[in-house]
Amino acid sequence: MGVENPAEVAKFIIRSRIADPLFVYSYFSQLPDSNYSKLKYIISSSVTEACNNSVLLLGPRGCGKTAVLELVLEDLLKEHPDMISVVKLNGLLHSDNNCALKEIARQVCMEHQLQFSKMASFDENSKFLLSILRECGLAHKTIVFVLEEFDLFTEGKQRLLYSLLDAMQSVLSQAVVVGVSCRLDADQLLEKRVRSRFSHRKLLFLSSPGEDFHRLAEHILLLPTDSRLPNDFRASFNEKLLNILAGEEFKRVVDQLCYSDSTVSHLLRFLFCAVCHMDLSSGSLSIKNFKSALPSIQRQPKQEALKDCSILQLHLLVCMKRLEVKEVELCNFNSIMKEYKRIRDSFETVDYYARNICLRAFEHLLQRGLVSFQDSRGQGQSAEFRPVKLLISWHELQQGLQSFPSCPTILHKLMAREG
Amino acid sequence: MPAFAARRHSPSSDPTSETRVAVTPRKNRLRSDPDAAIASPLRKSPRLCKEGSPNSSPKIEVIRKCLKSSLNLSGSPEKKQLSEDFVERQTWDPREETQLRAVNEALHLSTAPPNVVCRENEQNRILDFCKKCVKEEKAGSLYVCGCPGTGKTLSMEKVKVMLVDWANKEGVQPPDVLSINCTTLANMSEIFSKILGQTHSGKKPSPSTSSLQQLQKLYSQHTPGMKMILVVADELDYLITKDRAVLHDLFMLTTMPFSRCILLGVANAIDLADRFIPKLQSLNCKPMVITFCAYSKDQIINILQERLKALPYTVFQPQALELCARKVAAASGDMRKALAVCRSAIEMLIGESMLSSVDGTDDQQKPAANNMTSNQVRIHHVAAALSKVYKSPVIDTIISLPQHQQIILCSAVKLFREGKKGTTLGELNKYYVDVCKSTMIPPVGILELSSMCRVLDDQGILKLGQSREDKLRRVTLNVDGADIVFALQGVRFFRNCLK
Repeated sequence: MGVENPAEVAKFIIRSRIADPLFVYSYFSQLPDSNYSKLKYIISSSVTEACNNSVLLLGPRGCGKTAVLELVLEDLLKEHPDMISVVKLNGLLHSDNNCALKEIARQVCMEHQLQFSKMASFDENSKFLLSILRECGLAHKTIVFVLEEFDLFTEGKQRLLYSLLDAMQSVLSQAVVVGVSCRLDADQLLEKRVRSRFSHRKLLFLSSPGEDFHRLAEHILLLPTDSRLPNDFRASFNEKLLNILAGEEFKRVVDQLCYSDSTVSHLLRFLFCAVCHMDLSSGSLSIKNFKSALPSIQRQPKQEALKDCSILQLHLLVCMKRLEVKEVELCNFNSIMKEYKRIRDSFETVDYYARNICLRAFEHLLQRGLVSFQDSRGQGQSAEFRPVKLLISWHELQQGLQSFPSCPTILHKLMAREG
Repeated sequence: MPAFAARRHSPSSDPTSETRVAVTPRKNRLRSDPDAAIASPLRKSPRLCKEGSPNSSPKIEVIRKCLKSSLNLSGSPEKKQLSEDFVERQTWDPREETQLRAVNEALHLSTAPPNVVCRENEQNRILDFCKKCVKEEKAGSLYVCGCPGTGKTLSMEKVKVMLVDWANKEGVQPPDVLSINCTTLANMSEIFSKILGQTHSGKKPSPSTSSLQQLQKLYSQHTPGMKMILVVADELDYLITKDRAVLHDLFMLTTMPFSRCILLGVANAIDLADRFIPKLQSLNCKPMVITFCAYSKDQIINILQERLKALPYTVFQPQALELCARKVAAASGDMRKALAVCRSAIEMLIGESMLSSVDGTDDQQKPAANNMTSNQVRIHHVAAALSKVYKSPVIDTIISLPQHQQIILCSAVKLFREGKKGTTLGELNKYYVDVCKSTMIPPVGILELSSMCRVLDDQGILKLGQSREDKLRRVTLNVDGADIVFALQGVRFFRNCLK
């Protein structure tokens, strides 16, 4: 009972924190010059000063644009209750003008408990939009329009964007338009008159690993003082964790993680994996957990498929590779068998297998996804005559062979000779 | 000089300026009645201040509260009237909320300025044309064109008001005014039903004839006593269809023998009339074209000064204002951008002053430092705001990309240096593996490479085509190769690689 329970509780606490974006991004809200504070300043100044504004949030996918926006809106709703109402549109669903107006009308009606009619025409919906903007302006209520996938709204004639941004130019309305997009040139896609009405405020969400990640990891992984864990357990857990985070090995792991993708969501997935690997009997995280989480994040599916192959299948793959290097036009099972025979004749160390066994091995390769048919025609023909192609690159094959236990040296020689 | 002349006109057009100003309401009041002339004391022009007692005006109270140095307050209204530049005005405190609000309001897009400067010429021309049409009870068409942000819609609003005023003064029957923004039309022929609805609210369009036909019938017979109608059609190019029928019919309405319709069309294209309605030329009824040119540097400075004139304190250093005007005039001449840059520069100033107060500088310690210039928006604020508006975020993003994605971009630049415009993913992979090998970084497989290319495509840096097979998808660069080289030059490896 004793030591298991606190570790389980700790694991639960940390996992629930990682899965809660509001908690994760609340770390960014504490930094003074972060995008959170800038966005909050823009929207809150529009609310208090009753002026209209528009802003664009740009950044790669998974860097926290929507999460920060949600955080800002939540905080502002707490600070100024009843003064903000939010309308959310998505470019994937509502890029058509009619659809978008209907959705705006529906959301506004739902929020203010008005009657919404599905049969309302485009004209009525646009008049409704103008009148609701006017009424909210009179009542001192700011409407925040959140347009996700902003670049998809810029296709076509951009009527919705024009009408929203134009309505913001009148004194009677009080609205903020927030566009969220992952395209860096989203504002270049706007028509020139829409771009002229847009206020050119852009907040760039750049993911910078290293320093930031360290502090973010501390923010998430350190156990809080108000949990129901015993104090000494918590203190020892936090101390061990700080030691790991400050160490060189952790830095190396993080560097390797950030080589291909350094967005916050990628890092969160890594942390979640590491916490899941936590050993409950030891009661704390160790550097081993982080190291074992790395390959499960950076999976190589082809390598995993290669690991389970038989030696005969490896031979077949190497034969296919040789054929590809020799630029033979037609590569099907028969030509592979010819190449295999040629190798058998030149190097006597290669075993001899009957044709039907080779065919079965070949079919297994097809099923595993390491080779596939060139085209989907010729379904009626048997597998021996249809052209096939390799789905694995030379480099991956070589890596797989090197990590394969008990791989015959002849294969290495064959690969090396052609490479 | 235009600025001075406008000020002289202001007392005569006081009622209109008051109404116009009153539309922008005070923050703590409910805007229940926007059309009533609420006398907002904060917005009185300097001339009016002179009539009242300067000591009792609330504006002076505010200034007195925040001023730390002693200035001759009772002499300030006269000084404001005589000097037309920022020489003798008081300073402001960016941390004072009411002042900040007033400045932001003065510079906001939705605040229609009381006097529209730098467009008097064009406005007078449009007004004369409309007056002529109304007096002679003839129809006519006019086409206003210009880049966005050059004051077209603003001028049209003014002309509408001025025309009705003039008609009332002259005793002529004022025309009905109909403003349509063509983006709000569900379908093109709605514009005719709107015109019909305006002229004859009693008649309903019968189902057999369309509104257009009814209008044509109406205008081809003499109906005594029918009012003139002024139609202002904004964003006229939304009415352009393939066969250009709607636009053509609209302008033809004004050429009918008994037409009572004055049409003012507004659009961006200069040659709309020539390109899309060439038949009018042959009928000798081409619309008059008035071009609103993009604002020049002096005009932008004038307009900004006009907006800031109502405030009793200097917000901008003159050089800062000039830098903003020069840059915007050189780029597009768009007034909206200039206003946005000014507001952005003020925010920079506020951010700077907040940071300095966060750093723990005591207010008591430096009363002398709050002199004229330290609280004004200076050149470096405007320069920072301009760079934010005009700089593209591409370079910053490339610098902060993860390493492998930078290597992909580097290999793409090397590949395209040899003159090719596009390549396949397989080719890119080969180059990528070569670059990786030269630096001992293990390359990732083709699957991960293709997903990284997709991420770059999402961001708009690369452009990926479609193909059945992953390896055969076409890859092109969407940003300039020189930008990538510039962004990556900070890393020695890339510098050597891209030499």
